[in-house]
Amino acid sequence: MAAETPALVLEERAPVSLAQRVKDARLPWVPITILLIIVFCAAFANLVAPHDPRANDVRNKLQPPFASSEHVLGTDRLGKDMLSRLIFGARTMLQVTAPSIIVAILAGTIVGLVSGYSGRWADSVLMRITDAVLGFPSILVALLIVTYLGTGVWNVMIAIAATQWARFARMIRGEVLAIRDRDFVVLAQIYGVSPGMIVYRHLFPNVINTLMVLTSVSVGQVILLEASLSFLGLGLAPGDPAWGILVAEGREFLTQAWWIALFPGLVITVVVMAFNFFGDWLRDYLDPRLRRAG
Amino acid sequence: MTTYIVRRIGEGVIILIALSFVVFGSVHLTGDPARFLLPISAEHDESVYEAQKAAYGLDKPFIVQYWNFLIKAVRLDFGQSFTARRPVQEILLERIPATVHLAIAGTILAIGIGVPLGIISAVKRDTVLDRVCKIFAVFGMAAPQFWVAIMLIIVFAGYWGWLPAFGRGDMTGWFPSWSQIPNMLAHLVLPAFVLALAIIAAIMRLARSAMLEVLDSDYVKFAQVKGMSDRVVIWKHAARNALIPVITFGGISLAGLLNGSVVVEVVFAWPGVGLMLLEGVLSNNFPQVEGAIMVSGAAYILTALVVDILYGYADPRVRMN
Repeated sequence: MAAETPALVLEERAPVSLAQRVKDARLPWVPITILLIIVFCAAFANLVAPHDPRANDVRNKLQPPFASSEHVLGTDRLGKDMLSRLIFGARTMLQVTAPSIIVAILAGTIVGLVSGYSGRWADSVLMRITDAVLGFPSILVALLIVTYLGTGVWNVMIAIAATQWARFARMIRGEVLAIRDRDFVVLAQIYGVSPGMIVYRHLFPNVINTLMVLTSVSVGQVILLEASLSFLGLGLAPGDPAWGILVAEGREFLTQAWWIALFPGLVITVVVMAFNFFGDWLRDYLDPRLRRAG
Repeated sequence: MTTYIVRRIGEGVIILIALSFVVFGSVHLTGDPARFLLPISAEHDESVYEAQKAAYGLDKPFIVQYWNFLIKAVRLDFGQSFTARRPVQEILLERIPATVHLAIAGTILAIGIGVPLGIISAVKRDTVLDRVCKIFAVFGMAAPQFWVAIMLIIVFAGYWGWLPAFGRGDMTGWFPSWSQIPNMLAHLVLPAFVLALAIIAAIMRLARSAMLEVLDSDYVKFAQVKGMSDRVVIWKHAARNALIPVITFGGISLAGLLNGSVVVEVVFAWPGVGLMLLEGVLSNNFPQVEGAIMVSGAAYILTALVVDILYGYADPRVRMN
């Protein structure tokens, strides 16, 4: 008998080192580097930026880029340094998008969990509302909200959150529907665990992967929406360092100062691309099943 | 099929009513329209305020007011625009053709560019051409529309001066006369392209994967074995079958284009419903905003409805669900 026991012992795997795991993950280094630079610029804007983004320097107004070492990316009509405004723009972007997307995730997750787990009328009511929000282009919904609440950063943040939560709710509900009849949930119910506890302890941990993937895929969309709203003049005041506003200011100097519009837009494009690539990677890494859904 | 259509129309009507309720309700939530409309000289005169209230029907119960709003909305009657001092209905009738023209041109461009690129990158899979198409798609999804629009204006209108940068030229209304057509098209090119850009990327991806699937099928291989030329096989046998889902998607995106045009209309000063909406938003012009949003919303719901029904005809699985 003793001779048979080794067959039951699983082959022991060598512990995988962290370095090896990082290597196996095939991390997308270019997008990650770009995103780290953006976060760094946002965090230490006052140290990184060569000038005050709001300081006028009228003697050096409308300087072309790469002409002087003092203003590498040129200046605008009041002599504000473009590079500094771009760097502070990263901070503005994070300050506006991060809170709104967090609120959207919280609201969407709660609605999705409740809707998926409770079923019946609560589910149909919540999903009708979700579909109605999803059914309209976000910019229309955002404009409606800004009309009645007025322009300003806070209202833009509310508008972004109000248009984005629905995607999270839909996705989380789908995940919950897929797992709520699995054995561990049914057993917990039989054992008498309260519904709140089941949602918190058994359902929520199982949707975290989906949540992370959806978040990283949505961030790019949110940045574009925020930039569009700033561009349309609904968010921050003119003169504030936001990328969308910079492009809008450049619009007035199309022929004289092309650089004012060019650089901020380029930065937005690169950042959104980086988020999209990172999101694609995360989706493939965490959950290959989702590959087709995108 | 009939039950599917009836159910789908029912859903459309419900969403439309929900939209009208939100639009109407938000005016009441954010303040008293009667007080808002009061001339400054009569601000503290309660009798003028009461008269104003009665004149606009604002003294009636909420539900009655809402019903009146609905009845008028059907006739595009949203009252007077505060800034333009004329009926919103008049402005809408001027603006709708411009937006519809732009959306149609955008869809044509998106399909006209996206489909061939998708087919080419499927046929020339993993070549430099395929990669260039992919980069174009990634860029198209990430670049902000307003920025691309401005860059195109700088290059094509400013630097080279080939195309007009703003407006619709001397076009008004639905149908151009023969002499207006070249001018109309010149004004359409840039805005329609910007509008199409994001969808081109999606259509390209879709066409590429559909095409790859079809190229792998038996009848395509059989056609090749029969000795038919590549061109006939690709464009006649494969592409025709691959394009059904792509065209459907084009229809759906037409619905999106009708609304996605706010930013594009603003940059190109295109006199459409989107520009009208933003003008209204920035000047607290509630009737104008209500009119523009209700019309865009209804157009969106209607287009999505038609596409869904057509899709139900094409694919039985959809209507069974």
